[in-house]
Amino acid sequence: MRLTFWGVRGSVPAPGPEMNRYGGNTSCVELRTASGACFVIDSGTGVIPLGRQLMAREFGRGQGEARMFLSHAHWDHIQGFPFFQPVFVPGNRLTIYGPGRSSSMLEGILEGQMNPHFSPLHTMKNLGAGIDVVAVDGAAKDPSFEVDGVRVSARLNPHGATRALAYRFEENGRSLVYASDAGYPPGGPSDEVRALYKGATVLIHDCTYSPEDRAERIARGFSSIADAAQAAAEAGVGTLVMFHYDQDYGDDVVDALTERTRLLLDERGAHATKLVAAREGLSLDVE
Amino acid sequence: MKVRFWGVRGSFPVPGPDTNRYGGNTSCVAVRVGEPGDDGPFIVIDAGTGLRKLGKEMMQSEWGKGEGAAHLLVSHTHWDHIQGLPFFAPLYHRGNKFFVYARQRDDTHLRAVFASQTDSPYFPVPFENVQADVAFRELVEGARFEIGPVKVSCTRLNHPWIAIAYRLEHEGRSVCYVTDTAPFRDILIEQEYIRQPPQPGEALKAEDAAKLEKMREGVVRLCEGADLVIYDTQFTPEEYRMRPHWGHSCPDDAIEVARAAGAKAVCLFHHAPERTDAQIDAILAHHRAASPDIELVAAAEGLELTLDGRADALPEQAARQVATR
Repeated sequence: MRLTFWGVRGSVPAPGPEMNRYGGNTSCVELRTASGACFVIDSGTGVIPLGRQLMAREFGRGQGEARMFLSHAHWDHIQGFPFFQPVFVPGNRLTIYGPGRSSSMLEGILEGQMNPHFSPLHTMKNLGAGIDVVAVDGAAKDPSFEVDGVRVSARLNPHGATRALAYRFEENGRSLVYASDAGYPPGGPSDEVRALYKGATVLIHDCTYSPEDRAERIARGFSSIADAAQAAAEAGVGTLVMFHYDQDYGDDVVDALTERTRLLLDERGAHATKLVAAREGLSLDVE
Repeated sequence: MKVRFWGVRGSFPVPGPDTNRYGGNTSCVAVRVGEPGDDGPFIVIDAGTGLRKLGKEMMQSEWGKGEGAAHLLVSHTHWDHIQGLPFFAPLYHRGNKFFVYARQRDDTHLRAVFASQTDSPYFPVPFENVQADVAFRELVEGARFEIGPVKVSCTRLNHPWIAIAYRLEHEGRSVCYVTDTAPFRDILIEQEYIRQPPQPGEALKAEDAAKLEKMREGVVRLCEGADLVIYDTQFTPEEYRMRPHWGHSCPDDAIEVARAAGAKAVCLFHHAPERTDAQIDAILAHHRAASPDIELVAAAEGLELTLDGRADALPEQAARQVATR
């Protein structure tokens, strides 16, 4: 499996020269499976340049197929969708997985974004591609299912007043965990979530805040770099990827946070865990 | 009268090195009259992502003490014109007062439209948690009103779900904000979803043509003699030919309207998200050469234009400020 980061920012897109290196687009990660399937994780504004790139190949001819996995429906995780070019090409197929009590409720949430007061699209029915929406129950006893030969599991993390799905993707003995927007209680993640993270080859984890900023904004339901380092160390992951930076953190701030996160991992004995700070355009093999 | 640009983009925000000089935030413009320290009204037009940084600056003055008041004129409620509002810090400070103006809806009250942007599950902070006092003013076609000493008039535009243009006038100086709109000739865009645009050369229905002519007259009248016309110039001519039903114009459409209105200067605005800094430079240079009879500037984040009646000074003001970014 191979990852590419298209949007690494939290809350709201943050244009500006001080964001040039890490990027200002909101959350979107592309996962290419070993079998060649196209998985898209979250649909922030980063999905827009991804869509433009996809159009150069089979999606431009209406022969593309992609799976989209949404962690939750806050704007910064869905706002790129109405501008994701492959959805306008008849013949393309897209399956959207996301949190919801039912598939029709999840579809209704995505429809809300197209409401004519807000969007010229009016409704998802005006998109040309074939779109299926599948609700994922992160509270199920067995939260896993098979997609294109990849074992996908999902669990819910607390996120302020709501919850966000964390996903685990497993293929050929390699595993990727995506855990954005996680605001753990003082005791850390739940047992189910700990099991989801356990031994992951790569863990992409919410690193919205420094520990100091998180302390002032606990109610917002995001992780600090210390929460991420703790989760990674406890799970014994191969690589921790920092993700979902606060919209006010410029490149120099993220550089400094990366150095601190390395120390936090080492303090927890996770010397063997590699550390990567996600930035737009970065590709990474899950191995 | 001072006009400051906080967001100049259309459709969606575009971070990245290619947009550093003109900026990647969506539409937001602030207008101030009088001298700093006066209690002249503070007027903001549109609430794209540019509003977030404006809000941070406002928090350094009376809005940070809960003593601020501002008027927000909204052209229409497509995402790129309202998506900064949930991140506008002064809204969450008790004591601040806001007046939000936008087109009256047939089906619901404006407050409901704005509040639904922050409903669960889309945003963690519901509109009920806004601490400031927010009053909504619903505008009908041709409304005229006053914000303190500033006279405001408006007219409708050719855009899906209908956008409105504003003119602000104070002590003989005037700025017009004309976005989003298609030109008033090939297609009438209202509240119906348009699946297929008309083919080139396809005749307009007589009633549509009459409506468009009336709309154009309204816009020309609005812009009459204006010191500055900020205009939707998202498209190149090729892009317009492919997507006339998206409701955007080209620089030539803006220049033509400004000329007919005897306006002194045009500001290219609502830049396409894919347009790089270098392409905007080239578009501006091309149209300056082609239309030497009218002053042209391109909106850039952080640019502040002072309207003092000397339109020929505007390009120089813009060049000085944009080059230093």
